[in-house]
Amino acid sequence: MLQFHRVSHLVRWLFIGVLCLPVLAGAIGVLLPALGYFPALGESTFSLAVFQRLWTVDHIAHMAWMSFFTGFIATAVATLSALCLLSAFYHQAWLHTIQRLLSPLLVLPHAAAAIALLFILSPSGWLARVASLFSQTVLPPQWSIPFDNSGITIIFALALKELPFIFLMALSVLSQPQMHTRITAYLKNAQAMGYAPVTAFLKCALPQLYPHLRLPVLAVLAYATANVEIPLILGSNNPPTLAVAVLQWFNHIELSMRFQASAAAVVQLMVTVVALITWRLVEYSAGRLLRHSMINTQRAQGARRVTLAAWLILVLFTFFAVTMVVSTLVWSFATFWPFPAVLPDGITLLHWQTALPALAEPVKNTLMLGAMVSVLAVIVALLALEAEVSVLPKLGWQRQRLEHSLLQLTLYLPLMVPGVAFLFGLVWFQQRFFSGGIFPHVMLSHLVYVMPYVYISLALPYRRLDPRYVKLAYSLGKSPGQVFWRVKMPLLFGPVLVALGLGMAISFSQYLPTLLSGGGRFATVTTEAVAVASGSSQRLSAVYVIVQAFMPIIVFALAWWLPGRLFNPAAHPRGQQSGVF
Amino acid sequence: MRYVNRLRILVLIAFGMSAQAVSATTLQFHAWGGNAQVNKYLQWVADEVRNQHDITLNHVKLADTSDAVARVLAEKAAGNHSQGAVDLIWINGENFAAMQRHNLLLKNWVGKLPNFALTNPSNNPAMVTDFGLPTQGQEAPWGRAAMVFYYNQQHVTEPPQNLNQLMQFAKQHPGRFSYPLPSDYLGISFLKYALLVLNKDNTAPLYAPVTATRFDETSAPLWAFLDQLHPLMWRQGSHMVRQASQLQQLMSASEVLLAFSFTAAEIPGAVTRYDLPERTRTYAMQEGSLGNVHFVGISYNTAHPEAAKQVVNFLLSPKAQAKKQQQAVWGDETVLDVAMLSAETQRLFAVEDLHPAALPPGAIYRLLPEPHASWTDALREAWFVRYGARW
Repeated sequence: MLQFHRVSHLVRWLFIGVLCLPVLAGAIGVLLPALGYFPALGESTFSLAVFQRLWTVDHIAHMAWMSFFTGFIATAVATLSALCLLSAFYHQAWLHTIQRLLSPLLVLPHAAAAIALLFILSPSGWLARVASLFSQTVLPPQWSIPFDNSGITIIFALALKELPFIFLMALSVLSQPQMHTRITAYLKNAQAMGYAPVTAFLKCALPQLYPHLRLPVLAVLAYATANVEIPLILGSNNPPTLAVAVLQWFNHIELSMRFQASAAAVVQLMVTVVALITWRLVEYSAGRLLRHSMINTQRAQGARRVTLAAWLILVLFTFFAVTMVVSTLVWSFATFWPFPAVLPDGITLLHWQTALPALAEPVKNTLMLGAMVSVLAVIVALLALEAEVSVLPKLGWQRQRLEHSLLQLTLYLPLMVPGVAFLFGLVWFQQRFFSGGIFPHVMLSHLVYVMPYVYISLALPYRRLDPRYVKLAYSLGKSPGQVFWRVKMPLLFGPVLVALGLGMAISFSQYLPTLLSGGGRFATVTTEAVAVASGSSQRLSAVYVIVQAFMPIIVFALAWWLPGRLFNPAAHPRGQQSGVF
Repeated sequence: MRYVNRLRILVLIAFGMSAQAVSATTLQFHAWGGNAQVNKYLQWVADEVRNQHDITLNHVKLADTSDAVARVLAEKAAGNHSQGAVDLIWINGENFAAMQRHNLLLKNWVGKLPNFALTNPSNNPAMVTDFGLPTQGQEAPWGRAAMVFYYNQQHVTEPPQNLNQLMQFAKQHPGRFSYPLPSDYLGISFLKYALLVLNKDNTAPLYAPVTATRFDETSAPLWAFLDQLHPLMWRQGSHMVRQASQLQQLMSASEVLLAFSFTAAEIPGAVTRYDLPERTRTYAMQEGSLGNVHFVGISYNTAHPEAAKQVVNFLLSPKAQAKKQQQAVWGDETVLDVAMLSAETQRLFAVEDLHPAALPPGAIYRLLPEPHASWTDALREAWFVRYGARW
């Protein structure tokens, strides 16, 4: 095997290792205390006593149910809405307008979205202020949103945040050349047979599309059931979701609560697994139920209802996206803003002046960390992909299949295993065996989250590269290394930049990994924003939300803009399109 | 090759940036970071100690101080006894009790600080007692606080002057009062305040370690009071805010009409930053105000104990204490016995023009000292048993 191939194959294994090991080590670090083993607190025997005690905690079942329920419903709402939008507007020319409308919300960190939503939904938020124009009240209404016990606010926020992800994932699947050709042909045929465009999409494209969308949707589901930021900021605490309880117990002043926290983290993992299984069951039964309607020859079935629903979703989404942005901006410049007033008494730069100097260091940290993590992730992902394209085909098919499925499995491992279930254990491991450094720890925990996305976003364009360029270069006597650097890389410049941008955006948004691995010593914009949100100034929070949203948007704008500047745009067809991944 | 070069430069830039993070002595000061004024003051402190002692002080802004306590414990668990991530920590009450119990603090250093004598500890037991627990030289006093109430004149003209009137107020304005969960220091403080006031004829048991019988007798009137109050509170008491700062946000939005705080000075500060309504006014209850001291500790596994002590000594200097007491800066009351200082130094502590939202001088009728620390846990646990565990 050639040197370059050997290196790339090695990196592919490194990639798998970097993804698996922290998650597994972290899971062990959580499992041991859950089983009663934590020598630092004087416990070094194994037993199930911790779990038995956990069952006696008030509302424990309700907490688990809230995690399951909010995550499941939010994912269902987001998925159905995204598919609804797609069915109704796929044949429309302004599909890409929707794409552009949804993209910014994709990169907005969850914590920022939750804070921004608070500005709209709370009894003193904009909705209530506008409503009071008609009711003449001087005090905020006493409605029960947010922090409601039903979990509706959490579901709403999660769905709002995950809808763009699923929608853009679906678009990226549909834009794969084979898929695109096939679906277009199906849709044309269906329409020629008199099917309404929407019905044609529902009956022909959707069954083709969904299997490719399943893994991302399951990743969303896993994330939603175990998310901490949104229920922490918008949810009730009587009781909270289990994921929030896990976090609170880990941070509890009574240090022996760590046993309970660890056991609850294990239960959280099970909740997520149950949610994934339930999803598959529901999906399967829905598929069976709908199978008949696919071939019942009704040519306009559901067209009106789906179109109507899609419009409603679009209007609602646009409304919230726009009001979230505008109200956050207004709060960040507001002076006094007594309740019924729709606009503040005046505007000031004070909050920006307070925040910006304090943000200099976190911004530097965030950029440095994001750039390093992202560059590393892109290099590793590219080499791993190179190994897949050049090395794997030369191995026996069994070995090939093994390596392929191993990577697919590990790729989704960090996305499926909830952060609260392994990060605390990972920190314990890092402390136990590699105490001292901060930066490497933070970097590792970020890499775990960044690498899968970078890999997924690069995989398509990499596999889609026209093999004739490569063959031609080989026939001219170039080595694999030369082909990689001088043929493939320039062709992939657009997607690589987009992957870099994506990696940075994901690194920017990490809260728990940064906080825990860094021991609080590594301040990023996101950790600072959550700390400020726990403070007393809504106005300052607003500034942090804007900075948080602005950073990834700038990075993405650069990733879009640079390739066209540096290279002839014709040299990398479709490169940018896959950018939203 | 152009591309390779570009990539190489990127990598160089990225790695080059991380190399410059190392400097002389760098200390990590773990302190709650939810208040802009406090953060700004700590930035000033950092500048001062850099100039005076060549120490780089980094404020680690915590959302919750227990995060740092957990961190030190995790390090101890992992056998990291000399390279701790936490050098200095701002604590009091239970966080101190927990750290002391697990031996996470450096011992017997406070008495050796030159400036500690200025707090006049022999005549001022509050400087060496943290919620009834002797500090044993493990933490140095940093500031003082008393519980004050505040309201918005636009909506309320006659705020309640005692606990009884507070109940009347809640009846008049249902849904417009709340207190933070007892897991928050302000929340548990409210319970202690009510407990002290409801037992005002016999407070002695509250200053002794708690026992089951003492607790049942003493707390009975508190539960009766809360049973009546909760249905009249914001969200009928079913959801209560987790943190003091969120109570201030509710006040800012006029969702509640009466709130309270342990740092009187943060209220005019918040008004100047527009975070509280323009016509906010601060006052103290006539039955007395709960009061306590907050401290700075050094973790047992700090790599730089001497530098950390230098910083604490600076925090206790008249210069730093006077700066901290200024309304425009933080407004946190000094722990120094100002009478012991020279006349010239005393002038540093003179009161400037008072903000209308500030607590007028002499407004505190009398101080109610914190009950014995053992009451805190007992109260909180009983509260959670009674009203449900909320996390």
